Amino acid sequence: MARDTTRRRVLIAAAAALPLAAAGCKGIAALGTPPKAAPDVTVATDAIAVETQLIAGYGAVLAANPGLAGTLRPLLAQHHEHLARLRGRLIVPARGQPLPTPRATPRHTAPVPGTPAAALGYLRDAEDAASGALLAHLATAPPSLAQLLASISASEATHALILGTAARHS
Amino acid sequence: MTAADPAAVAALQHALAAENSAIYGYGVAGAHLTGTRRAAAVKSWVGHQNARDALTAMLAARGAQPVAAAVVYQLPFGVHSAAAAVALVTLLEDRLSAAYLGLAGLADPALRAYGARAVRAAALRAAAWRGSTLAFPGLDVPPPRASGPASQGSGSPASSRPAHGKPTPSHPG
Repeated sequence: MARDTTRRRVLIAAAAALPLAAAGCKGIAALGTPPKAAPDVTVATDAIAVETQLIAGYGAVLAANPGLAGTLRPLLAQHHEHLARLRGRLIVPARGQPLPTPRATPRHTAPVPGTPAAALGYLRDAEDAASGALLAHLATAPPSLAQLLASISASEATHALILGTAARHS
Repeated sequence: MTAADPAAVAALQHALAAENSAIYGYGVAGAHLTGTRRAAAVKSWVGHQNARDALTAMLAARGAQPVAAAVVYQLPFGVHSAAAAVALVTLLEDRLSAAYLGLAGLADPALRAYGARAVRAAALRAAAWRGSTLAFPGLDVPPPRASGPASQGSGSPASSRPAHGKPTPSHPG
C-alpha cells in the first residue's frame, strides 16, 4: 500500500523532472540536458550502489574462499533480496533513458584477504560500513523508503554480527 | 514545545505497547532458560525496561498519556521449554523491530534516527536468539512458531489467536 504510493510518487516525480523540453519551451539545446533525478530516485540509486558493492565483495571472497559458502550464501541471498526491493523503487524511464548513475560506482580494487578469518572480518567491516551508509539519507527519504533503508541497514548489522561470530570460530 | 504530531504519538504508543509485551514475555521466557541464555534474557529484560521508560518520557513530553502495561498477556503459543522460550523472545524482538520501524517513517528526523537505532538493536537481539538473520527486519516478520521451523507440530498458537496474532493484553488498560 505505502509502497504503491511511493512508486506512484517516484513515477510522478520522474515525469515532473523531465524538462519541458518535450514541449519545446526551452529550445533545442534543452534536449541535450539529462533530466535531474528526483530526490528519492537518488536515495534509492545510492542504496543500490551500496548493495551492489557488497555483493561484489561477497563474490570476491567466495571466489578466494569457497569453503566459506555455507556461512556466506544465506547472507548473500539476502543482499540480492535487498537489491531487488530497492530496484523495485525505480521506474525504468521510457524511451531507453538511462537510470541515474550511482554516485559511488561499485568497484573492488582492494585485494580480498586470503585466510578465512581475515576474509570474514573483511566482510563484517563492509557490512558495518554499508549499514551506516544506508542511513545517510534517512532524514530526507520519503517515509516508506526511509523505513526500507532502516530495515536493510538493520539486516546488515545482523550480518556483521554473524560474520564476526564466524570469524572468531574459524 | 510545538503541538505533538499525532502520527508521532501513535507510533511511540505502538512502540511502548511492544516494549510492555516484551517485558512480560522476557519474564516468562527467563524462567525456562539457564546459564548464558538466562543471563542474556535478564540483560534484555532490563534493556526493555529502560526503553519503556524512555518512550514513556517521550510521550509525556508530547502531552500524551502513555499506554499502560497489561497485568497478563496472552502468549502466542505455550512456553514450557527452553526452545519455546527462545522462540518467544525472538518473536517479541521481531515485533519490536516492526513497531520501531513505525518511528523510522515519521516526519521528525530525530524520531526517525531513534527508530532506526531501535530497529537495529531489536534485529541484533533477534539474530542472536535465532542464530540467523532476516532480510527485512520489521518489514517482513515471520509468523509465530513455538520452536524452529523443523518442529511445526508442537505448541500451536492459542486457539483464539489468528496466525498473525501478537501477545494481546488480557486486561487492556
